[in-house]
This record gives sequence, structure tokens and C-alpha cells, in this order.
Amino acid sequence: MTDQPGDLACARARVLIEAYVDGDLARTDPDLAARMKVHLADCDDCRKQYQQAVSLPFRLKALRAPQPPPSLLTNVMHAVRPERGESRRAWALLIPEAALVAFIVWYLSGLDGLASVASGTVSDLQVLLNWGVGAAQPPSIPVADVFLLAALIALAITAAYHLAILSRLSAPTLREHRRA
Amino acid sequence: MHAHAAAGALTMSGPPDFAVINAGQLVRQATGGDIDAFEALVRRFQRQVYGFAVQHLRDVDEAQDLAQEIFVKLYRNLARFDSTRPFEPWFWKLAANTTINYRRKRVPATTDENLELRGEAAEQAQHDPTLVDALAQLDPAYRLPILLHYYADLSLEQVASSLGVTLPAVKSRLHRARALLRNSLAELDESNR
Repeated sequence: MTDQPGDLACARARVLIEAYVDGDLARTDPDLAARMKVHLADCDDCRKQYQQAVSLPFRLKALRAPQPPPSLLTNVMHAVRPERGESRRAWALLIPEAALVAFIVWYLSGLDGLASVASGTVSDLQVLLNWGVGAAQPPSIPVADVFLLAALIALAITAAYHLAILSRLSAPTLREHRRA
Repeated sequence: MHAHAAAGALTMSGPPDFAVINAGQLVRQATGGDIDAFEALVRRFQRQVYGFAVQHLRDVDEAQDLAQEIFVKLYRNLARFDSTRPFEPWFWKLAANTTINYRRKRVPATTDENLELRGEAAEQAQHDPTLVDALAQLDPAYRLPILLHYYADLSLEQVASSLGVTLPAVKSRLHRARALLRNSLAELDESNR
């Protein structure tokens, strides 16, 4: 191996090979490109490196893509389909909530009913307070109020459940569907 | 010719022949809620995306995870695609970003243990085993632009856009990557003699 054929050191020539192969060197420094040409004609080792550099892009383009496993497509479609299905199910779950709201609205009979319930609640609280200090008998609770309380509790539980579903839908986890 | 075939497929009655519809049209259909169009899109790109992931991660399980994440991310970002532009550069930019974030989140620094491919993937990926080995030794920061440019066939401008760097920076990184590959190939050839 010669050290500096064409007035160019091998170490310097090796650094410039890719720019020379792409034609960038000829555009930016034609004189240096000409010295590279002379160097490559005279230096066997650098010429081998040059030939390697010329063939490398073709070898990279020719790299074969392995056949993906069938589970890739299955898992991808599994991961994206539930988003639509679960959304529909979430909407369907609003039906019992709507029924509960309709019942409560019917029971309260609009604003008059609401005012009646509010005054009744204040009155019940006063009775409870008096009972607590020993100045009155324990209050009697109307059966309809028990139904109303049960409906409100059911509504709160259903709403909490739906919120949990919606939070899962907004941040779906890929790992759940990954290796189905 | 392809455009004519695609137009024909769209105007015909009956189920569309997804094989002749261009990717941009499939995206538009998928964005409108056509899940079959999205499946056709996945079928069309899965081999290229999986191959890209295998070459980059050198682990078939991780590669499948990454490929899956890329397609799920594509599904969630369909509405962001500007249908007046070509699909593939946009898609590969999304794939590159997903790959960068995937490595940050999940894949530890390359070790000898996870350089192994198994089974059919190994046979298919190793038709140029010396180059595959040299690629595996390359730093991921150099391997990603190499795969995007030569394997996914993105232009230099598209690689620059995908990686969020300037065009001269991409050229410089590719030159450096190829020089490193060339040195590795020379060493591997030497050791195989």
C-alpha cells in the first residue's frame, strides 16, 4: 500500500470516499475530487474501499423484508376495532341513566316538585336536629323518599361506572391488545 | 395507468378492490370510518414496516410490537393526513417518530443477546448476513436514517423532515453511517476469511 498516491493520504481519502461516490465532492471541491481519482487509481486498498462504498447503497436497497407474522394484522385490527365498539357500548349504557333521570323528573313533577322536596328536606333536617338533642320523636321517612334516595344512589354508581369506561377509552392501552 | 385503474375501482358497483386503490384514497376512506380500507392499508405496508422494525431493533418480538404501534398510531392520526400531499412521506415520518419514542421507552442499549433473529425472519433477513451484522453494530442514530433512505426509500428531504434535522445534517449522517458500515464490512470480511 502506498501512503500518498496522487498527493493524498489514505486516511484522508477514506474519509472522503462517500462524498466522492455521491458526487458531492466534485460539486464542492473539484480539485480534491480529481486528486481522489488519481489516488484511487494508484491505491489498491482504497480502491477496494471505494468499490465497497459504491455497492453499499445497492446492497442496502436489496435487503429483503421478512414476512410479517399473521398476528401482526390481527392484533392491529383488534387494537383499533374495540375503540368503535366500546364507544357504542358506552352510549348504550346511558339508557339506564336516562331512565333514572326520567323517573326523578317525573317524581319531582318539575320545579314545584323540586321546591316541595327542598322544603321537606329542610323540615326533615329540623326534626332530625330536634331528635338529636332529645326534643322530639324520631322522624318518619316517607316510602317515596326512600325510592328517590335509592334512585339517586343508583344514578351516582352508574355515572361513576361510565366515567371509568370513558377514561379507559380516552387512554387505551396498547399492551392489552398486543399479544392476543 | 394505476390512477385509471383506481378510478375504475371506485366507480364500479359492489365491494371495492382495495388492491388497486392508491394509499391516499384508502386513507380518505379509512378516515370516513371504513375499517376495511384501513385493513387494506395495513396489509399493503405491513411487510415494509415490519422489515424496517426488524432491521432496526434486531428482535422479532420487539419488531412486531413496534410495527403494531406504528399502525395503531396511524389509525389515530388518520384525520391529520393532508390528502393533497403524498401519503408515504407523511406515514414514514410518523413511523420514524414512533420508532424514536419506542426506543426511548422500551429498548435497552444494544447488547449481543438481542442481536439474534429467530426462525423464518432470520432466514429472510439474512440473505446478506454480513451487511445485516454490520447494520446491527451501527449506532441507532445512524441506523435510522440509513433505513429510512435506503430501505423505506425516502428522499433525503423526507428523511430530514422525518428526523427533524437539516438536509446537510442528514447527508453528513448518511455519509458517516455508510463509512462506518464500510469499515464494519471490511472487518467482517477480514474475520470471515
